[in-house]
Formats: sequence, structure tokens, C-alpha cells
Amino acid sequence: MAASVGTGPVETAQAVPTNNRTRLPASRVIRRIGLYLLLVAIGVVFVLPFVVLLSTALKPGHQDVFSNPPDLIPRPPIVDAFVRAWTTIEFPRYLLNSFLLIVLIVPANVVISALTAYPLATMRFRGRTLIFFGLVAAMFLPMEVMLIPQYLIVNQLGLVNTYAGVVLPNLLTVFAIFLLRQAFTSVPRELADAARIDGCNEWRVFWHVMLPVTRPTLAIVAIFGFINVWNDFLWPLVVLSDQNLYPVSLGVAYLKGIGGVDLRLMSAGTVISVIPIIVFFLILQRQIMEAAKGAVKG
Amino acid sequence: MTTQSSAPSRRSRLRLGPIERPIGQRWVTPYLFLIPGMLLFAVFVVWPASSAVQLAFYKYDIIDPPEFIGLANFERLLSSSEFWETFRNSLVYLVGMIPFTVVLPLLLAILVNRKMRAIHFFRTIYFLPVVTSMVAIAVAWNFVYDDLGVINGVLRTIGLIDEPIHFLTNHDTAQGALIFVEGWKGTGTYMMIFLAGLQSIPSDLYEAATVDGAGAWGRLRHVTLPLIRPFMAVALTLEMMGAMQIFTSVYMLTDGGPGNRTASLGYFIYQQAFEGHRMGYASAAALVMALFLVVLSTFNYRLGKKAED
Repeated sequence: MAASVGTGPVETAQAVPTNNRTRLPASRVIRRIGLYLLLVAIGVVFVLPFVVLLSTALKPGHQDVFSNPPDLIPRPPIVDAFVRAWTTIEFPRYLLNSFLLIVLIVPANVVISALTAYPLATMRFRGRTLIFFGLVAAMFLPMEVMLIPQYLIVNQLGLVNTYAGVVLPNLLTVFAIFLLRQAFTSVPRELADAARIDGCNEWRVFWHVMLPVTRPTLAIVAIFGFINVWNDFLWPLVVLSDQNLYPVSLGVAYLKGIGGVDLRLMSAGTVISVIPIIVFFLILQRQIMEAAKGAVKG
Repeated sequence: MTTQSSAPSRRSRLRLGPIERPIGQRWVTPYLFLIPGMLLFAVFVVWPASSAVQLAFYKYDIIDPPEFIGLANFERLLSSSEFWETFRNSLVYLVGMIPFTVVLPLLLAILVNRKMRAIHFFRTIYFLPVVTSMVAIAVAWNFVYDDLGVINGVLRTIGLIDEPIHFLTNHDTAQGALIFVEGWKGTGTYMMIFLAGLQSIPSDLYEAATVDGAGAWGRLRHVTLPLIRPFMAVALTLEMMGAMQIFTSVYMLTDGGPGNRTASLGYFIYQQAFEGHRMGYASAAALVMALFLVVLSTFNYRLGKKAED
């Protein structure tokens, strides 16, 4: 799958090829319009909750948040709730905390996953099959099963309410290991052998040959790491109790807990929490969606 | 997203062919590479997994030392109506989300698998909830489901109802409302899986079917559906794992209520462990859940294999 990532859209001709785009018969024009209407209608279902959120955040104090019939247009839109979320509730801190967690987790996760995947892909050694099956089994352990003992271990290590407690269990991702193993396997052997003949040791082969050529897959691992860390909720909820350490997901939940009264503030905080991830997604959407497709083909 | 594992039915992945030892490689080299990963794996996967099993036989509230009580946790669990209620709820989530896993996403995939202007734009829109956090989504849907929210507003305007429906607090609608939110968030993932499936079908198969006189329905029935079945097996496996682990939406939208009507197994485990401090009891529940998932996965694996034959 590594090869298909980042090479742009991979489209194949489908059931009804539309070769002649310039002059469509009238019936097909109508069909086309109907299709677009359907696409837009479905799109509304997917976008509506986001619109409601944004409109609530922008509604001025004299306009009811809820009315019958519903009115989604803020008259006039004001940013007061955003200002308050930014200044009175500690949203800048929550955002910084989330970014900090990403910086602490994602690069280390990529490197450790690659280090683990590399020998599994290219070397023969005792215990290889055992490790492999252990990793497969781990992939099927539900979060809830691991939650309690992981918490107790973090507790025993004295890491409750610290970032180390949030970070450490997140450094190894089985899915990433398999993804990278696949990528390393598809690198031609001659490439690594040439480097070895030139006198590279295995570490240099890994660092200077294998990592650069599998960069698209490393990027995918990093991208999904970013999304996962940003959206992670249950684990930080369990580990962190100090509000100053909250990542943005916990910040929103906290805001919902206290903000039942101030719906505009709650909406503004939530909007702030999704903007970075949506911008991130829109920038990298091709890679992300191709990877979502490729995940199955493995 | 990381749980998006590949199909368990892919045996080829597990078949590790012999690999020659590279030039000049010492026996210790692979182990050196594996040190950091395996250390983390041991501490944060193997150790917890084994102590999860152990813990289920203990009474443990974190403060006092654990006390061995044999099967008492399981006995209490199996006679607890609350546990069975959440178990039943989780089964309803599991079944209720199937249409959002195989039916709706397949239709969406067929719809967006066209060469049309702006089709990427629509795919992106449909995928948007996938990358957004459930916490944020829950806040948004809380507004949508409100008595004076958009859905009630539309239903009232077109005259379908006179009184608002209390979607999240009504005994009959609460779980359906949560299923819809979870389904809405996940649909994009499965749409992309099916899109990959559709694009893997050679177009000459469709041409052959058309030559044989198959209409649109015939092509769907005799070409698309049979060839997409392995992808359905993957989608179902992911759905099962996901549905059994539903937590955040419950935590954010209903707190398990009304009563225990929407509490999932995951929510029950969380509550017992971190609000009731019954670590052993919660571990027993987690173990039952894991066992159930193993049974389901095996069943689904068989199904997937059948589909491949």
C-alpha cells in the first residue's frame, strides 16, 4: 500500500464510463443534477451538527440559543464566546497541552514502531514468530480490558497525573508496526544489499536507506498518530486529574460539565478544539483517505 | 483509528517465509532493534493483559491490598441485573450499528465512486466526522437532539409531531439516538473501505454482465455484492470491535441513562473501576467482554473465510 499513498487519486474506470463529457444527452444531464442534489442532501446530514455548533457559538447574548422554529443564523454573529473561551477558560493551555502530547508521542512512536517493524520484516531470528503472534493478539485486546491493569501499572510506577503516564503506553502502536513491516518488506532487497556491500552496518542501512524510502508510510503513521493523540479521551481521562495538564479533549468535556448553563461558551470551546484537527485533515486529506482505503488491502 | 486492523482472515500475512540472513549480520542485531519496542510491549501490553486475568479473581480498591476471592466477582457479575442490562445494551449497539457499517457506507461508496466534478469534495465531507473527536461531536449532537433543536424543529414544522421528542432522555429513543451518532461518525471509514473494494473490481466484469443483459440491479447483485464480501467481513470485524468498546458517546451524551438504558459494557467497566473503585469486579466484567469478543471474532473469521471461498 505504501506505493499507492501520495501518488494522487487512483481512479479506475467504472461501470458506466463517461468518455464524452462535452455533450451529454438531456436525460443524462437531469440524472447528473439529481445525483448532485442527492450528494448535497447527504452532505447536509454530515455537516449540520458542525454548523449548529458554530452558529451557537456565534449567537449574540440577546438571541436565544434555541428557538421554535430553529434559527441557525446568528444575528449578528459575534465572537464574544470565543474570546471568553480563550481568556477565562484555559483553552490556550489545553491546546498547548495537546500539541505537547503530540510532540512527545508521535515522533517517538514512529521511530519505535519502525525499529520494531524492521527486523520483523527483513531478518530471521529466534522468537520472530512468537513476537509476531503476540502483536497480532494484542491488536484484538479491547481498550476496556487493558484500561484497568494499565492504570494500575502507571499507578505503581508513580506516573498517575503525569504526562509520562499518558505518553508511555501510547508509544507502541501495533497497527503502525504492521503497516511499516509491510512497507519494509516491499523495499527491494538489492537496495539494502548494495548499502551493505558499501560497508554500511545494519543500523545505517535502516537509518539511511530503509527509513528514507519508506517515508510515505512513516508519514501515514505520523498523521494517524496526530489524529489519535488529539482525539484521545478515555486514557487521559483516567490518568490525569490536574486540570492544568488537560489536553483539549478533556477541556471540552470539562467545559460541558460546568458549561451546561453557558451554551455559547461551550460551543465556542468545542469549535476551538476541532479547528486544528479539521485544518490538519483538509491539508492532508488525500493521504488520509487513501490510507483509510489502503488499510484493508494491507 | 489505529484499531483499524486488517482482516483477520488474511492468513498470508502470518505466513513468514524464510529470509536469508543479510550479509555480515550478527545474531544479536535483530534483538538490538527490538529492545525499545519489546520493552514497552512487555510493560504496557503483556503485563497488563496477564494481570487483567489475575485481577478478576481479587477484590481490590487500590487503597487496601488486593484480596483473593476466587470466583466471587464472576458470581456477583452474573447475578447482577445491571451487568446483564449493559451487556444487552452492548448487543443492541452491535446489531444497531450494522446498517451503518455495511448498508449505508456501501450505498455511499457506490454513489461517490464516479468520475464527477467535485466528487472528492463530497467524499471529504462524508469523511469529516471520522477525524473529529467524539467529545466534540457529542457536544454538537447534544444541540441537534435538543427539545428545541434542529430535528425537533423540522419534525414540528412539517407537522409530524406536536410535542418535542426528548431523544436522549426518552427510554425508547435514547439508545437509537446514540447509535445514530456513532453510526454517523463511523460511516466515512466504512465508505472508504468499500470504495477500495469497488475500485478493485475489474471493469470488464461489469461490461460482461451488461453484454449478458444485466441491468443496474443485476450488476449490483451478481458482480458487486459477491466481490465486495471480503470487504464486508473486514468492515464487520471493525464494527464489532468498535461497537463493543463504545464509551465516549455514552459518557458525554447520556451518562448511561435514562436508568441504565444506554450504558454500554465499556461504560459499566469504567464506572465500576474508576467511580466505584471495584477494580477486581470491573476486571471480571472486562474479561467476560474479551471472551465474548473472541467468540465473535472467531465467528466472523469463519464467515470471512466462507466469503473468500
